[in-house]
Amino acid sequence: MSVIESSGLGKRYGHNWALRGCTLAIPRRHVVALVGPNGAGKTTLLNLTVGLAAATEGIVTVLDGQSAGSPTALDGIAFVAQDTPLYKNLSGADMLHMSRNLNRRFDDTYARTRLRELDIPLERKAGAMSGGQQAQLALTLALARHPELLVLDEPMAMLDPLARHDFMATVMTAIADSGVSVLLSSHVLAELERVADYLVLLSDGSVQVSGEVDELLACHRVLTGPSANAGVYARQLNVVSARSGEAQAHLLVRTDGVNAPVPYGWEAHPVSLEELTLAYMRDPAAAALPGPQRAAVAQPVVARH
Amino acid sequence: MAWVTWRQHRLTLAGIAALIGAAGLYLLITGLQMRGAYSSVAACQPANSPLCQRAAGEFLDAYAPGAGWFLGLMQVIPALIGAFAGAPLLARELETGTFRYAWTQGFGRARWAVAKLVPLAVAVTVSTGAFSALIAWYLQPIFSAGDDKGPLDPTVFDMVGLALAAWTLVAFAIGVLAGFLIRRVIPAVFATLAVWSALAVVTGFFLRGHYAAPLVTTSPSNPAQAWVLSQGWFHGGAPASLDMINNTLARVDVRAVTPELFQPGPATPANLGDPVNYLIQHGYTQLTTYQPVGRFWPFQLVEGGWLLALSVLLIATAVWLVSRRAA
Amino acid sequence: MTVDKGISEPSSAIEFRLDPTSGVPTHLQLVHQVEHAMRLGYLKLGDQLPKVRDVVASLAINPNTVLKAYRELEIKGLAAGRPGQGTFIQTTLSQATFPELTRLRRLLLDWLTIADAAGLDEDGIDALFTSTIRTFRGLRDDARVTARETEGIA
Repeated sequence: MSVIESSGLGKRYGHNWALRGCTLAIPRRHVVALVGPNGAGKTTLLNLTVGLAAATEGIVTVLDGQSAGSPTALDGIAFVAQDTPLYKNLSGADMLHMSRNLNRRFDDTYARTRLRELDIPLERKAGAMSGGQQAQLALTLALARHPELLVLDEPMAMLDPLARHDFMATVMTAIADSGVSVLLSSHVLAELERVADYLVLLSDGSVQVSGEVDELLACHRVLTGPSANAGVYARQLNVVSARSGEAQAHLLVRTDGVNAPVPYGWEAHPVSLEELTLAYMRDPAAAALPGPQRAAVAQPVVARH
Repeated sequence: MAWVTWRQHRLTLAGIAALIGAAGLYLLITGLQMRGAYSSVAACQPANSPLCQRAAGEFLDAYAPGAGWFLGLMQVIPALIGAFAGAPLLARELETGTFRYAWTQGFGRARWAVAKLVPLAVAVTVSTGAFSALIAWYLQPIFSAGDDKGPLDPTVFDMVGLALAAWTLVAFAIGVLAGFLIRRVIPAVFATLAVWSALAVVTGFFLRGHYAAPLVTTSPSNPAQAWVLSQGWFHGGAPASLDMINNTLARVDVRAVTPELFQPGPATPANLGDPVNYLIQHGYTQLTTYQPVGRFWPFQLVEGGWLLALSVLLIATAVWLVSRRAA
Repeated sequence: MTVDKGISEPSSAIEFRLDPTSGVPTHLQLVHQVEHAMRLGYLKLGDQLPKVRDVVASLAINPNTVLKAYRELEIKGLAAGRPGQGTFIQTTLSQATFPELTRLRRLLLDWLTIADAAGLDEDGIDALFTSTIRTFRGLRDDARVTARETEGIA
């Protein structure tokens, strides 16, 4: 029951690998946050998933083994691309009509109800709508297809805070209603904290962190203690990132479980998703992956002091 | 999907309809006038009497130049349709990013491309095909009145028969593919104009004359309404230069400006007649390579055929690229 | 633009809010808010908790987070899910009745006035209160142990 599975997936544009050696297995019914710095390969991975790009090497399958871009895959996946492209000269009603014509399933009643609730006039041309309205229209068109997987590429980049909240509320309500799986990319970490329960962190074209948020948070701790022996512990523990002042140091460590021992004189704090993500993004050499890869990261990674 | 194609391209289709409609209306009105004027020429008996010949000549003087202008103007129709209907079709989707919507719907990309391209290709082909039938109807009195331009003439050939529709279709197909490859509307428009024009020029100048081996005649008068490919003087089996011709003609004080254009001088004998005949009497032969008017339809079939095949190939390539290659 | 006009009409006894700066995980914030509302008498036995869909629509959070919070309340024995209907409060946390709570609050206010007059600032009051509660808890536990031992002997 996996919504996306990839193995050794790579995509090259010219001489540059936008994505390489990407191996993932994301279970269904999750809200997957795809994060990473600009140019890390987020959009490439999404394009490969929805079939807008063809892999240079490796394979990617969606919805339990359908090859990405195949008719069955297209039927079950709805994609809202970056900047939510719509036909600017078409009205909301025309866009609805078009989506109905281009899909086997299209819930016109849902779409119309939703747009009425959002006060989006159907007769207005998409180009004349606000950014928030365009985003909501694109999202509504996607959700009215009742997809099994909803893919969103930087959906909220252009939206004001209220529009972001409303957009996310629509997505989350759809999950509550239909159990759709969601894959969304963003570099606004704060807005993912409330919604994501699965994290995929890309860095420089490959997967750096992948796993359920709860599990990731459970096996990471911030240790705070004297700078004097921070170096010693840093060598013993699996440190993701370290920050230290003259007297006090903070180590973000990867532990094997909740009850991992805390060095004497040190205090352990739970870590937030944003903190965890930032720590990994700062140190692209650190990795947290499920399965066989874990062995490869078992040796501690010592970061700068 | 038919609705989608119609809704998105109705403006383009309306533009084509307006263009062809306006030109067609002009053809219909002037064509009817021309037929009115021609009826007296056609009624003139006997047809080869000097009086009737003069009437036909006057008719041609009145109408042939206008028709020539009009045909010249209409040469741009395929290019316009290719550039403004074909080129933006995929380029706009790619330029504005809407392909990321269109190509991720359940309908599927190849089907989407086919459902867009095929009806539009048929529409431009059928409408220009009908328009070229109207042009043929319009030109008919001019040919009947004995205009020395035949239907094989390069300015006429691609406006009548199958050619106009085929040239429009290939322009459309070039536009579609250029739009996909260039991904931006304006550059794709110019690329389409350039590629189509190059193809039309190469075909007109180098290709069409070889659809069948040309005929050669030594008769000094050209075969009626034939498409003359080349004409030249030979003497003793070798091409005669302009100097040689001038040396010969100097005896009767005629100067050859070109091998076909002669200027009598003050000492030219009044009874010389046509200098061409004088040259022939003095051992020259005029060789004319030409395609006879009877080859009009075979040529139309050949040209229509390969253009259609090329168009199908280009459109199929575009569909294949849409379904396969992506952002 | 409103999220969902349906939820502006009160459909449940309480409405959740989130404090993004608290650092407390979202599902725990929900659990705490339910417990707090129960203690203060806003939520009574048999009251229905907000429907998952409504919480999700108003807070824009993952439905799994709400489900997790409700599951935690069920584990704690505070609430119970009824299939197809929702989650309902199953017990009572406020050990005192509402008039009693009002009386206690008034007493506490009086005490605070005295503390303020004695020159204690808010932190001082807080510290004193916390340490007194700790003392009280110790005394109470001792008393219970003693009571149990007494029972054992008897």
